[in-house]
Amino acid sequence: MVSVVLNTDVKQEDAGNAVVVAVTSRALFESGLEDDDAGVWKLSLAFPLLQAVQKVNDCLLEKNPAESLLLDVLLITTDSQHQKLSSLLISSTKHHGLGVGKFCFASEETFVDSLLENNVQLFLSTNKDEVQTASQKGVPSAMLEARKKDSSVSCQREDLRVWLDEDLISLRDSASEPGSRHSPQRFLAKLGEIRQRFSVSDSPLWISLVILHGSRENCGKRLKTLRSLGVSVDDVYCLAGAPSEPLLSVLQPHFRFNCCFMD
Amino acid sequence: MSEIKPEGPAAAADSSEEQDWAAAKAFFDSLKTKVPRPPKPQFAVTIAVSSRTLFNMVAERKIYEEEGLEKYVAFQVEHEDEPLSPGPAFPFVKALMNVNSRLRQLYPDSEELFDIVLMTNNHAQVGVRLINSINHYGLTIERFCMTGGQSPIGYLKAYMTNLYLSKDSEKVTDAIEEEIAAATMFMRQSETELSDTQLRVAFDGDAVLFSDESEIIVKQHGLDTFFEHEKKFENKPLAQGPLKCFLEALGKLQRKFYAKNERMNCPIRTFLVTARSAASSGARVLKTLRSWGLEIDEALFLAGAPKGPLLQKIKPHIFFDDQMFHIEGAKELGTISAHVPYGIGQKYNRGKLIEEPAEKK
Repeated sequence: MVSVVLNTDVKQEDAGNAVVVAVTSRALFESGLEDDDAGVWKLSLAFPLLQAVQKVNDCLLEKNPAESLLLDVLLITTDSQHQKLSSLLISSTKHHGLGVGKFCFASEETFVDSLLENNVQLFLSTNKDEVQTASQKGVPSAMLEARKKDSSVSCQREDLRVWLDEDLISLRDSASEPGSRHSPQRFLAKLGEIRQRFSVSDSPLWISLVILHGSRENCGKRLKTLRSLGVSVDDVYCLAGAPSEPLLSVLQPHFRFNCCFMD
Repeated sequence: MSEIKPEGPAAAADSSEEQDWAAAKAFFDSLKTKVPRPPKPQFAVTIAVSSRTLFNMVAERKIYEEEGLEKYVAFQVEHEDEPLSPGPAFPFVKALMNVNSRLRQLYPDSEELFDIVLMTNNHAQVGVRLINSINHYGLTIERFCMTGGQSPIGYLKAYMTNLYLSKDSEKVTDAIEEEIAAATMFMRQSETELSDTQLRVAFDGDAVLFSDESEIIVKQHGLDTFFEHEKKFENKPLAQGPLKCFLEALGKLQRKFYAKNERMNCPIRTFLVTARSAASSGARVLKTLRSWGLEIDEALFLAGAPKGPLLQKIKPHIFFDDQMFHIEGAKELGTISAHVPYGIGQKYNRGKLIEEPAEKK
């Protein structure tokens, strides 16, 4: 049984224009480690992401208090064990004052349908299989990245850092359903729209394009493709097969989104 | 050649890295492009050039300084189909490309090549014009790093850079502090024709190939003390300077040509152009190079004479020196010069101690 519960501590956003970002409960909370005083769960990997999303929303509202193009966070359980712990999840979320708009209690079998029903435009998890499954069913998905404490790239109050790449090699290996082509583009277009609300140098959202393989021709093409979708990328790295880990530790993105650019 | 770059991560990670590289290689080859495949960074000599050293962006820079970032980016986007004209590092890059084609002929499967990376803190939207310009000149630059305003220093290490060339002396100083060979490039004031079959690189000695230990003695105690000191310590090798490893990398590539009997026709030639005199202080320098196992093709001891006229004859694609006085002299007579902001020489101007500026950030 799948149910959606609203977080009454948080102002609900205009469903029409908001970009729904779903984060798994396992990514947000370290289950089993209870904070003794309050009887709630401790925060895990996804917390910096939520803080960054909050910053983006705050900046958007600062520019325009009536802004409806905001990021709306949905906390979703993806296994039956967590599905049963709904009240603990809700209380932990409220205790930490997290900007989660809705909760969705689903299991392994039902979570993808929930994602689709709730118009989720980006699904973030720390579980590779979940990301792949959701992606194949047409929900743009990405793995959350672990973040180092010191980074040589300075961010004042945690900006949301998005890494876009096109892993052409692994793309060939995992086929996805034909109908899903549109979804990544829709998400990218929204992301681009949010980015456009801010100037070139002063933005709480930072979009990096990383061309992992191939030659510089790819690079020029992708910049233009993204531009045509309305996405003005901030920085671009063309690796031409060089290992990406060193760059990953410099850029420290919150997540890496594999865009399936179809020519 | 892996000594030029620090050891990679633990052996366990290596096999997955090997797999990734094999997959990347196969993918590139499947593209059926005429462009030669870029080498594996671990084995290559990576040269990072900034956009303003590769291309002449003086006019665009003016827009940035006078009208701000947004107008600058908009201007670049508006003109993105117009190729930029060559900058000070352009001849150097073409010479590197030539060495690569010779190396590929002799060693078709080797990854020991020059790898040229465009390393700029320009915004990605400016990238389209930069890529179009690179296309226009047919340069083999497949790796880029356009940081959108962030300092390139962290990225230099991520791209395993052996040498970084920029027009921004602050970035160059930061790179040298991080122990990455770097120099600030200057456009020459007249054009002399450079070789298109041989890469010619000229280095100053003290505070470039070697540390500034001896230069400190000259500045603080005068020439006589310097000569005495150098004679006394003739057999003690000098400590290494910021560009020593780059000379070493050039030497390794040169030996690949020697191994194939191409010494007479080697497309790399190195020069030492020093104010030291052969008689009194030259021996220590040569002995130091020998102790490092490094060769330099021509060592020119000027005994204090100006470097400009000699460099005019040598016609290097790049000349590295730590003192602006020599850089100016070289530039005036048509030599592409690169300032290495290292050592005691930075505190002096034409032999006089510069007033200490206020503490920088």
